[in-house]
Amino acid sequence: MLAILLRRLATALPTLLAVILLSFVLMRTAPGSPFDSERPLDAATRAAMDRTYGLDQPLIVQLGRYLGNVLQGDFGPSLVYKDFTVSGLIAQGLPVSLTLGGLALILAAALGIAGGILGALRPGGWLDRWIGFKSAVAVALPSFVTGPLLVLVFGLWLSWLPVSGLDSAAAWILPVLALATPTAGAVAKLTRTGLAEAMVQDHVRTARARGLSPLTVLVRHALPPALIPVVSYLGPAAAGLLTGAVVIETVFGLPGLGRYFVQGALNRDYPLVLGVVILYAGLILLFNLIADLLYGLLDPRARG
Amino acid sequence: MSVYAVEGLSLSLNGAQLLEGVSFAIDKGGCTALVGASGSGKTMSCFAPFGLAPGTPTGSARLEGAEMIGLAEPALRPIRARAGFVFQQPLTALTPHLTIGSQLAEAAGTRDRSALAAMLDRCGLPEAKLDQYPHRLSGGERQRALIACATAHDPALLVADEPTSALDAGLRHAILDLLDRFRERGMGLLLVSHDLPLVAKHADRVVVLDGGKVIEDGRAADVLERPQHATTRALIAASPRLDSPAPLLPEPGAPLLSASGINVRFGKLAAVSGASFDLREGEALALVGRSGSGKSSLARAVARLGPCDSGTVTWRGDPLPPRSRMRAEHRRCLQPVFQDPAASLDPHWTVQQSVEEPLRHLFPDLASEARAERAAAALDEVELGSAYAKRRPATLSGGQAQRVAIARALVADPELILLDEATSALDVLVAGRILDLLGKLQASRRLAILAITHDLAVARALCHRTAVMDAGRIVETGDTAATIAAPQSQALRDLVSAS
Repeated sequence: MLAILLRRLATALPTLLAVILLSFVLMRTAPGSPFDSERPLDAATRAAMDRTYGLDQPLIVQLGRYLGNVLQGDFGPSLVYKDFTVSGLIAQGLPVSLTLGGLALILAAALGIAGGILGALRPGGWLDRWIGFKSAVAVALPSFVTGPLLVLVFGLWLSWLPVSGLDSAAAWILPVLALATPTAGAVAKLTRTGLAEAMVQDHVRTARARGLSPLTVLVRHALPPALIPVVSYLGPAAAGLLTGAVVIETVFGLPGLGRYFVQGALNRDYPLVLGVVILYAGLILLFNLIADLLYGLLDPRARG
Repeated sequence: MSVYAVEGLSLSLNGAQLLEGVSFAIDKGGCTALVGASGSGKTMSCFAPFGLAPGTPTGSARLEGAEMIGLAEPALRPIRARAGFVFQQPLTALTPHLTIGSQLAEAAGTRDRSALAAMLDRCGLPEAKLDQYPHRLSGGERQRALIACATAHDPALLVADEPTSALDAGLRHAILDLLDRFRERGMGLLLVSHDLPLVAKHADRVVVLDGGKVIEDGRAADVLERPQHATTRALIAASPRLDSPAPLLPEPGAPLLSASGINVRFGKLAAVSGASFDLREGEALALVGRSGSGKSSLARAVARLGPCDSGTVTWRGDPLPPRSRMRAEHRRCLQPVFQDPAASLDPHWTVQQSVEEPLRHLFPDLASEARAERAAAALDEVELGSAYAKRRPATLSGGQAQRVAIARALVADPELILLDEATSALDVLVAGRILDLLGKLQASRRLAILAITHDLAVARALCHRTAVMDAGRIVETGDTAATIAAPQSQALRDLVSAS
């Protein structure tokens, strides 16, 4: 187990470095500059700005300096949000995004796995078909449809829940629900399919022959192997949920990370984009690592 | 007084009558064996009354007097818990993500470690296995663990469906001896097997099934020595026996393949150490040995289908390149047939597509009509015919699927075929017919054969010479009949005494 962990970590660091290099080069080769605006700057001011931020240096020097700073935990200043550092911006947005994504992840996994199990208890029964239909709809509906729909029904018509902002704990309910819905649908489908495969395995028949209750057979003997594809899916999906759901944050007016990602890219705010990319890549690597550890838990043969 | 009695058991599924009026009984401490060809309804007769097979049976099945037929699952479960079940495939019958100990605890209804250790102990496994996962155990150990689980709650009846057919010969009697010890404690045993010598030794009653009906039923000695029914006689005749007369084999020709100093390592384990053998045109060599002795690793290394760490292989005097550099003209000479036909055929492909596939790669210039023609000829040669061309593996029986696998091996006109336990997964009647077919092909095509087997009867039926493997080394080689008659190595003596 420890060997797997170390091996994964050894490959994670070069991957992260490659991601930084690639995004750095891509950002710089894209046309445009952070100081472009409606009214062009005069040449002298522009040169002064470039000098201030070190953008007049050769690319390789800039890269070296950036990497050196990142190693010390300094992601540089934002070029667009003046007076803010990238670390400061991320520190503002990350807690919101982490809360939103974390709650959505838990809800999606709980709803999805429970739905998959309920469906598999009586394969082909009305509940199975109903859950199958629901999860197909959940996967198919994009969050910019479910988000406003939830706002309309629960916020405006019924006035049960706040429409936007974060003034009360209840304000989390609608965005979390909207964000979790497609993931929950996908998890339910994957769980159900995995269980259908697992239920016809020989070892499940052995468990049934042992006189165990249908629920014990399902949860203890069939579920762990069935969850392997779910874990594969949830690893990268979790990183996506946690680092800011742009659409959901916009629809519900939440001050999360998503908008920095979009605006940073649009404004050529190099340090901001790189900071968010590093965070995103780091989270993806982290969650894939967690997924690998979970494989070992679900299937002892994967422990090597 | 019978522990378990089945009367007039019938079962139909999707319009097909699978069982019709099956009746048999098992005495306390007795053993009744159900025998018959595949598809005769043996497994269904075992599992249908307990709700472990699809469909709703009719008739009567009473375990310790409690009627099971007609009960719904919740009412059936406590009665089913009075029986224990052992399945055919020890590799897949245990839950892979739970330790042996936790599965045993589940079956026994206790977590007391010394009690669990005692249950393992009476099945011949040490206490340390409690903490291990099934994949760490060998096939024989898993089957013992499965028996430990099935007998943990002292069941009145043990249902064992082909409990030994996935195991090598040496282990079979050991497992049945183990089951006999449980019978001494009063447990009834319902045994399904196509291994008639085994049945003769352990069962006291034999029930012969054919097409879902009982065609013969009586004391084991009576049925096996004085069979009344033609099907029973065919089953007995098909049982391979070491004392049957040696077959006429084709005369070997020029040297074909020569392997020397083959080594295969898997990590720290030396699977094959310094093995050498030769093979001539039209000659058949059997590699025999128990599971894990390195037969498959050696054959795959030589055929360039598996890893080979060192050693040389020559084909008609020219060295055969390593696995990664084998080209079509090398692959054409040598084609494999594997143990499990259902697993070695792509379930999505038709028979014709599977048989044509080698031609696609080994003879890329062949036009599609010519490919179809050669595939049809190969299917004729394995006595299947064109009616099977459009079918998919799921609709084939085990024997038919293995014929397709043989056709696929033959279609590229190889000079040597590699048979990796090609008959071990088949029942005795079907295996006998496949052996007959291979014998015919051997004569008509002057086909050289490298046969990997743990079944000495296969070696006797097909092979000029036999090489015995033990712990990765070839310990004995010689003329098949002479070698089996006077085994020199302990490994071969064990195999002979187990056959």
